[in-house]
Amino acid sequence: MAVNSWLAEPIKGLLLDITGVLYESGEGFGTAIPGSVEAVKRLRETGIPVRFVTNETCATRAELIKKLHHHSFSVSEGDVFSPVPAVISLLKERGLVPHLLVHPAIECEFSGLVAGNPTCVVMGDADEAFSFANMNVAFRALKAMEDPKLFALGFGKYYKHKGQLQLDVGAFATALEFACDIKSEIVGKPSPLFFDAALSDIGITAKEAVMIGDDIVSDVGGAQKCGIRGVLVRTGKYTRSCENHPTVTPHFIANNLSEAVDLIIEAQSKNIHQV
Amino acid sequence: MAKKIRAILVDLSGTLHVDDTVIPGSIEALKKLRETSAKIKFVTNTTKESKRILHERLARIGFSINKEEIFTSLTAARHLIDKRSLRPYMLIADAAKEEFSDINSEKQNAVLVGLAPEYFDYEHMTKAFRILLEGAPLIAIHRARYYKRSDGLALGPGAFVAALEYSTGCKSEAVGKPEASFFHSALEDLGCSATEAVMIGDDARDDVCGAMNAGLHGILVKTGKYRPGDESTVNPKPSYVAENFAQAVDHILSTWLISE
Repeated sequence: MAVNSWLAEPIKGLLLDITGVLYESGEGFGTAIPGSVEAVKRLRETGIPVRFVTNETCATRAELIKKLHHHSFSVSEGDVFSPVPAVISLLKERGLVPHLLVHPAIECEFSGLVAGNPTCVVMGDADEAFSFANMNVAFRALKAMEDPKLFALGFGKYYKHKGQLQLDVGAFATALEFACDIKSEIVGKPSPLFFDAALSDIGITAKEAVMIGDDIVSDVGGAQKCGIRGVLVRTGKYTRSCENHPTVTPHFIANNLSEAVDLIIEAQSKNIHQV
Repeated sequence: MAKKIRAILVDLSGTLHVDDTVIPGSIEALKKLRETSAKIKFVTNTTKESKRILHERLARIGFSINKEEIFTSLTAARHLIDKRSLRPYMLIADAAKEEFSDINSEKQNAVLVGLAPEYFDYEHMTKAFRILLEGAPLIAIHRARYYKRSDGLALGPGAFVAALEYSTGCKSEAVGKPEASFFHSALEDLGCSATEAVMIGDDARDDVCGAMNAGLHGILVKTGKYRPGDESTVNPKPSYVAENFAQAVDHILSTWLISE
């Protein structure tokens, strides 16, 4: 069947987005998306390796795991790839001092790195901390740098929170890019480096992997640019307009994670029988 | 052949005055111009000063100007809003809201962005974003990257317009100089066509080039922000380059034809 040709090649590992795929964000821990807890469990049982690639920067990784465990998802910290640890190792590697424009909840993760004159700006989804005053301080910090560097933790256009769409970090990073006439370096999806890190942790190539997410550009488009098959789910920030997106055509659009996982597991078992 | 002129658009800051100082000869030159049949409008890009505030300053420093003769980027925005019956959600400075005080603000179907540091925060930006997602047009008073204020540089409206464009996928319409629509809109109630009008200003790109691209004649004055060589950096080249406003007026009166 042509529709499911994306299942023809073997799938040796899955990359899953978290917010909007495993749970919908909202008050407190949010709500698990029906079928997602069981879908992850089925993947674990069949032994298909799974890594979670998220641009979540409003909570520390430990808090994120706590949230997932609250919903009974079978996830351990080592399975989660998020921008904050990635940018921290990058800052250390290059000896950069960040000026932070991030959510107050994750500032603690950068302790010890923010001593001295900033040599770069690190920007995450700061939510309500995206005030004019904070944006302006970051802008002036960039203008004061000889070689201004802006790291954006993801570059999402928007996301869904408490049932409504909200501006994401990409909007505010674009504002600083425009004002300073610079380009930011993205740490997180859709950066190929970010997908690569998760793939090499599993030990597979891009062609052997499938990415499942609710962001047509960042998850699906980003994965496809690396040669990973991209599946969109009709949960989270999905809207009808994603179905005929001008630049990204998903390999498949599933109603939710559960449907996508069922198809993958079914295809895998057929492949095994054929061998 | 002498150019036939029916209307003259004059920039304010840098052309007639710099802050509270009159550019020498400008008051007298304006009087001379008024003795002809030429229609006059004063056109400026402003994001926070209403017509009333601009008018007060001009009167204070000695110009005899009628408030109705002033046409700003805010006026242009107002024209556009009225023409398309828009009900905009406004991210503009409180001082500028005077020009929009009678606009219906229920069921907003457009977003208007000016210079409004007090509104460029997550809450207001998100509200604007949601209105734009419904397909509403995004109107920018102008797209400056940043501006200078007493405590240093500050982010301009262009940055926040770029942010909204990125997240919604929409394209903004700018209404100030150098948009052709700005000049056409200023000429509209004078009842004259672009080819019968001349723009006088100190900004080679926004005043002169913008006007000429809109079909007007353009005279560059060497006052205000003018820097030597500015006239050669733009294309099309100014119709004429004058030392100042007074000389520009003399040139028009002596070599061009002013008709009813």
